[in-house]
Amino acid sequence: MVNPVLLIVIPLGLAFVVPFFGFISKKIEKFIPFVALFFNLIVSLRLFPRVLEQPVHVSIGGFVPPFGINLVAGPIGILFTVLIALVGFLVSIYAFDYIKEKDQEKYHILYLLLLTGATGVVLTGDIFNLFVFFEILCISSYSLVAYFGDKTSIESAVKYLIQGALGSCLILMGIGLLYGQFGTLNMADLAGNIKSVHSVSIFVPLVLFITGFGVEAAIFPLNAWLPDAHSSAPSSISAVLSGIAIEVGLYAMIRVVFTLFGASSILTFLMLLGVITLLIGELCAFCQENIKRMLAYSSIGQIGLMLFALSIASSYGITGGLFQLVSHTLGKSLLFLAAGYMIYRSGSMNISSFEGMGKRMPYTALAFTIGAFSIVGLPPFIGFPGKLMIVKAALFEQEMLYTVLIFFILLATVIEGAYYFRVVQALYFKEEKNTQNQKREIAPLSILIPIFILTGFIVVIGIYPKLITDVLVSSASELLNRADYIKSVMP
Amino acid sequence: MRKLFVILLLLIIAGGITLSLKEIPFGIPKTKIGDHFINKGVEETGSVNIVTSVVVGYRGFDTLGEITVLFAATIGLGAVIGTFRKNSVNREVEAASLIVYTGCRFLFPVILLVGTYIFIHGHLTPGGGFQGGAIIASAFLLMYLGCSNKRIKENLSKTVEMIGGLTFIAVGIIGLAIGQDFLFNFLPKGEPAELLSAGIIPIVYIAIGLKVGSELAGIIDNLIQKS
Repeated sequence: MVNPVLLIVIPLGLAFVVPFFGFISKKIEKFIPFVALFFNLIVSLRLFPRVLEQPVHVSIGGFVPPFGINLVAGPIGILFTVLIALVGFLVSIYAFDYIKEKDQEKYHILYLLLLTGATGVVLTGDIFNLFVFFEILCISSYSLVAYFGDKTSIESAVKYLIQGALGSCLILMGIGLLYGQFGTLNMADLAGNIKSVHSVSIFVPLVLFITGFGVEAAIFPLNAWLPDAHSSAPSSISAVLSGIAIEVGLYAMIRVVFTLFGASSILTFLMLLGVITLLIGELCAFCQENIKRMLAYSSIGQIGLMLFALSIASSYGITGGLFQLVSHTLGKSLLFLAAGYMIYRSGSMNISSFEGMGKRMPYTALAFTIGAFSIVGLPPFIGFPGKLMIVKAALFEQEMLYTVLIFFILLATVIEGAYYFRVVQALYFKEEKNTQNQKREIAPLSILIPIFILTGFIVVIGIYPKLITDVLVSSASELLNRADYIKSVMP
Repeated sequence: MRKLFVILLLLIIAGGITLSLKEIPFGIPKTKIGDHFINKGVEETGSVNIVTSVVVGYRGFDTLGEITVLFAATIGLGAVIGTFRKNSVNREVEAASLIVYTGCRFLFPVILLVGTYIFIHGHLTPGGGFQGGAIIASAFLLMYLGCSNKRIKENLSKTVEMIGGLTFIAVGIIGLAIGQDFLFNFLPKGEPAELLSAGIIPIVYIAIGLKVGSELAGIIDNLIQKS
């Protein structure tokens, strides 16, 4: 049996030894994240069948919880681990040729640490351990946003740093308050002690947690840092930030709300927050001229949609929300990778500079189009079943509120369609203004392979959604069955 | 208007935290795991310093995460500050006075020794890897202030840092192989209060001390060289 702790410590160890490989040859360094994430992908895929039968519990240091730290590799944890490893692996291939400037050694270390932190957050069963890994994730993303070192990227990294650090402080305060009251940090043990969220002493930590994790998940009104950070980071990092980091923030929030507090009474509030986030994100995206800012705002909108679906808190709703999460992770990373290469070629982030790219860079432009269609929710791509499930889940509830909210969600989808089609139109149906540069350019293989693989997943899962729905259904039941989670850790 | 809003928000947060804090009894040792650490800590980990038994024993995985946070911060700082290298102007540096110069040469090895003592005895006396590492880094700070022509060898500090990190993880993985648990204390715990006791705890703390020391020294180096 493979121990899930290896999913965290092997990449961590490899991140520590990157400088050693740098002494041998600077050329090896870029393969380290590739190797580490390939390892994670294989191990997490091997763990999957076991985890679906029964969550794997691992204690660390030989101390039983609540005295030691434990890892809980349930379906949802391993689902996230696979996603992180898959996207991380593909983006590390993309970085072979994309990252050429500045200090590449530091880029690769920080990149690996970011993904290790994300893996730690989704696997741990201890609230303070979750905070530690969350900090690894956040600190490495702050510095990666500033990687280019120009004025805009430093400015947006500082914005991100200030808001993120504030959020982390709030989380730490929440942990402190909970520890003071219950004298334990294990999530299952805490959850067993928290019977209701109606007393102030429990409600305050809950609020602190939601606000703190909400910053990383970019829930309105805590989303101010995201458009700047995601647009000024290198595109490979934007893909990971948009496809993984904010989803991990959302995971932490949902895990705390569902498992730790069992707070069903605030779900309506979260649902409304989700719809507002969705509408604000999509409306802002509609006004953007800068392609990366547009994609970043679109991520805010998508996070809002996921939050809405997860807050329905029916098995079907959570399955839909997780499906949407998978589809957004694949689709948005594809969009950032494809757009990143087109920006690299055209030298400008303006949408108008993409005119005629469909002829110059046929494969990349096609991949971008497929990603865009998938995010909008057109069949036969992966975005369609996700959105369909969310709409169906909301209508099953047969309440007036849901029907009204669904109207807004569909409205947001129309807006989303409008701005994505504008880009697709620029790619294919507009002639390029300067005609000197008309020759076709095929991207190098290291750029095309990840783009193709992501496109493949989007199409294949879009046609056979059954491939992942079983996994998502058991993940949803893990989130909903709080008592089972508590019992499985603290027998 | 904006200030009023901020004050109102702060008052709400402060009020909420106060209300929540009122529920926490003061001075009554009611925490379940706290009692366990105090009563069983020495027996289970072999470390007479209870803080160390928690930091490296019970919650050793958090500590691995924490040194990684520090590592990420150091690397991140290097990546960001490294971009300014070309813009910086060579300023005239005034040489340190005779007192600082002599003091730094005299104190540098002594401070290193104290730092090393602190992290080697982490399982016996107050202190440990983080504290010892910070003391070691302060020696380098003094060296930069006093002998401004001396520099840390970057490759050496990278190597020390790497050895520290790798030792921690290697010890953990050996524990996984022997005892089925990551960071399992596979060495004999020995007689409490002896230098060679507590199994893997001194090894891990030495690794942490080396890593934290070289990381903090790296931060100082980055800030001084490129400011």
